[in-house]
Amino acid sequence: MKKIGTGLCLSGLLLMSAWLTGCSNDAESSTEDGGNTTKEEVVEIKLGYYSSGSADEKVEELIQKFEEAHPNIDVTTQNAPYQQFFQKLDTQIAGNNAPDVWLSDGVLVQKYAERGAAKDLTEWIESDLNQDDYYGLDFNKGSDGKYYAVPQGIQIGALFYNKDMFDAAGVDYPDESWTWEQLKEAGAKLTLDGQDRTADDSEFDKKSVKQYGLTFFNITEGWMPVLKSFGGGVLDEDLKESLIDSEENKEAMNWIVDGMERGILTDPSDLQSFQSPMSPFPSGTAAMRIGIYARVLAANETGINYDVSVLPKGPNGDRFAPVIANSWIVNENSSDEKAEAAWEWVKYWVTEDEVQKEWAELGEAVPVKKSVANSDLFLNSGEQSINKQAFLDSFEFAGTLDTNAVWSEWLQKFNENADQVFLGETSVEDALKQADEEVQKVLDDFYE
Amino acid sequence: MLKRKPRRLTNDGKWGLFMVSPYLIQFLVFLSFPLIASLYFSFSKYDMLNAPEWIGIENYTTLIQDPVFHKALWNTFYFAVLFVPAQTILALILAVALNQSLKGLKLFRIAHFIPVICSWTVVLYVADAIFNPRFGIANTLLVKMGASPQAWLNDEALVIPVLVAVAVWKGVGYMMVIFLAGLQNVPHDLYEAAEIEGAGTYRKFRHVTLPLISGTTFLVLVLTTITTFQSFEQIYVMTGNMGDVTSAGGPDNASMVLMLYLFQQGFSFLKMGYASAIAWFLFLILFAITLIQLWLQKKWVYYEN
Repeated sequence: MKKIGTGLCLSGLLLMSAWLTGCSNDAESSTEDGGNTTKEEVVEIKLGYYSSGSADEKVEELIQKFEEAHPNIDVTTQNAPYQQFFQKLDTQIAGNNAPDVWLSDGVLVQKYAERGAAKDLTEWIESDLNQDDYYGLDFNKGSDGKYYAVPQGIQIGALFYNKDMFDAAGVDYPDESWTWEQLKEAGAKLTLDGQDRTADDSEFDKKSVKQYGLTFFNITEGWMPVLKSFGGGVLDEDLKESLIDSEENKEAMNWIVDGMERGILTDPSDLQSFQSPMSPFPSGTAAMRIGIYARVLAANETGINYDVSVLPKGPNGDRFAPVIANSWIVNENSSDEKAEAAWEWVKYWVTEDEVQKEWAELGEAVPVKKSVANSDLFLNSGEQSINKQAFLDSFEFAGTLDTNAVWSEWLQKFNENADQVFLGETSVEDALKQADEEVQKVLDDFYE
Repeated sequence: MLKRKPRRLTNDGKWGLFMVSPYLIQFLVFLSFPLIASLYFSFSKYDMLNAPEWIGIENYTTLIQDPVFHKALWNTFYFAVLFVPAQTILALILAVALNQSLKGLKLFRIAHFIPVICSWTVVLYVADAIFNPRFGIANTLLVKMGASPQAWLNDEALVIPVLVAVAVWKGVGYMMVIFLAGLQNVPHDLYEAAEIEGAGTYRKFRHVTLPLISGTTFLVLVLTTITTFQSFEQIYVMTGNMGDVTSAGGPDNASMVLMLYLFQQGFSFLKMGYASAIAWFLFLILFAITLIQLWLQKKWVYYEN
């Protein structure tokens, strides 16, 4: 008897759901038929984004507004924390059921573009967007000159400094005239050991540094801006050849190593002492940091008295601000209909002032739309009034992190060798030579 | 006389199959298929985003020449050579010590078992309190004794021993419990007989306890060896510099082990074919070691019947 009961229940449910879906379809088509001359069908698209905690709610809210503005598009979302999101995404692409549009970390755009997972958006961008109105479209350009993504928000690097520490040390605040040499000189005065002696003092004990001049971490907020402003870098313009073993890089690395040996800059071993390598500046253990825009959030949270300036010049007057343009990618394998609907979302995101403003209020990234970025809303938002103009000024000398399809792989090879130098295990020359060979091999293996 | 029945499933047999079918189906769908797939991938170039492309044994030949793979293989063995004896001996000592009939014994057993149930992330924080280069207890003690502070996890020579020490601390409680079970199966009259013969504590342990728990010891050895070759999470968490996972396995690959290398190649660099080749290599090593252990057990493991 029981069996029959469940069977009945099940078939009842099936019938009901069939009837319900049938009904709703009828309802939709009838209103459309009645209200509009053109018959439109509802397009369902899947949108994926990696979670950033507080911002999730805002994204969902914006998607709802988008659906209201585009009644013919129905958006379902998929989100997860950063690591899981990209692992899942890769398997979904492999299984051909990835979202129709997803948010990609800026450094990963080329990984998808060069492996044929991202749709070429060049034509759409050219016809639908006035390129001069936006920051950062070019940062996603592939080496083939095509656009595979549209920025969602931009991270750009500047120099953060702790005003209280500068005041206490009697050092002038950094400005756009600073070179890296000057930064180090100031940094020496701002580095204190357990007995409050500065790094200039002959008695200075670099084993017990309690306040660093500059915290230095990895690529974006570490060696890349230094290398590039010294005239060096990692890859050539086509992003297929390594340029690591150069005089300019040697000079830049020597500047870094000298700073670490004197205790002014944090080395990888120093950073291990912190819960996160990001924490020395916001926790008030370092007087300066190279920081992307999002670091404003952590600095505001701990309430330190800080400001920002553009990054220092290299010996030849060159400057470099690292950029990561987190971007929307449209799935290459989506049907034309879905891809077009996905493009509507991307367009909605970048063109609508309302969306840009609401996103800017969260303070996570520099807005993509120039008019919004240059408005009061962005420049004077936040609890502390800091010189946000410095971020916008930095666009003049901004560049990517030489991101290509094998970015994370070559980066790992470079970091490994750089860390050996930073820890005092090898010489700058040997490390650059070895890094050059290893990075070139990674590039050759992929681009052969 | 019982006549041999024709080879057909009895009712009991059918029921048996039916009862184990969830496991069988799970095995066929979720284990055997991925196994075959990964064998196929290990002979192909596969980046997960595009279809796999058959390249024969190229992955294996690259593997044999890959210096990082050599280092990972060496590190894995080094880890095992330190970890397996350390954990087994310590677990045995603890088990013997906690096999007495004293008051408050349960409390001690629980205390040794707590790290086992903690996640690696929790253990990391405890380990950090000890081995943090600036604020850690280890360096504070060293400095007090007049020695120079160490970089611990950032020191190529120290990173594996430190990881082993933490892993032993975390894992020893589990093996201790297995030993305890073994010890409690040793009949008391054997000890009494040995005492009458005039055997002291050491001789009782050496000639009664050890042979009678050799079966347990064998189990512990096999289990511990397999855990070593699969160790991943600990190294991923402890050497990953928290913010940056591609840095796991440092410094200069001094703590790169096979599982970590597999993960890095497969999931960070999208070289799934190469990662599959590493997986099959790892399987062959484990298979061989287990066979050797099985063969060796005849020489020293004592079974009552």
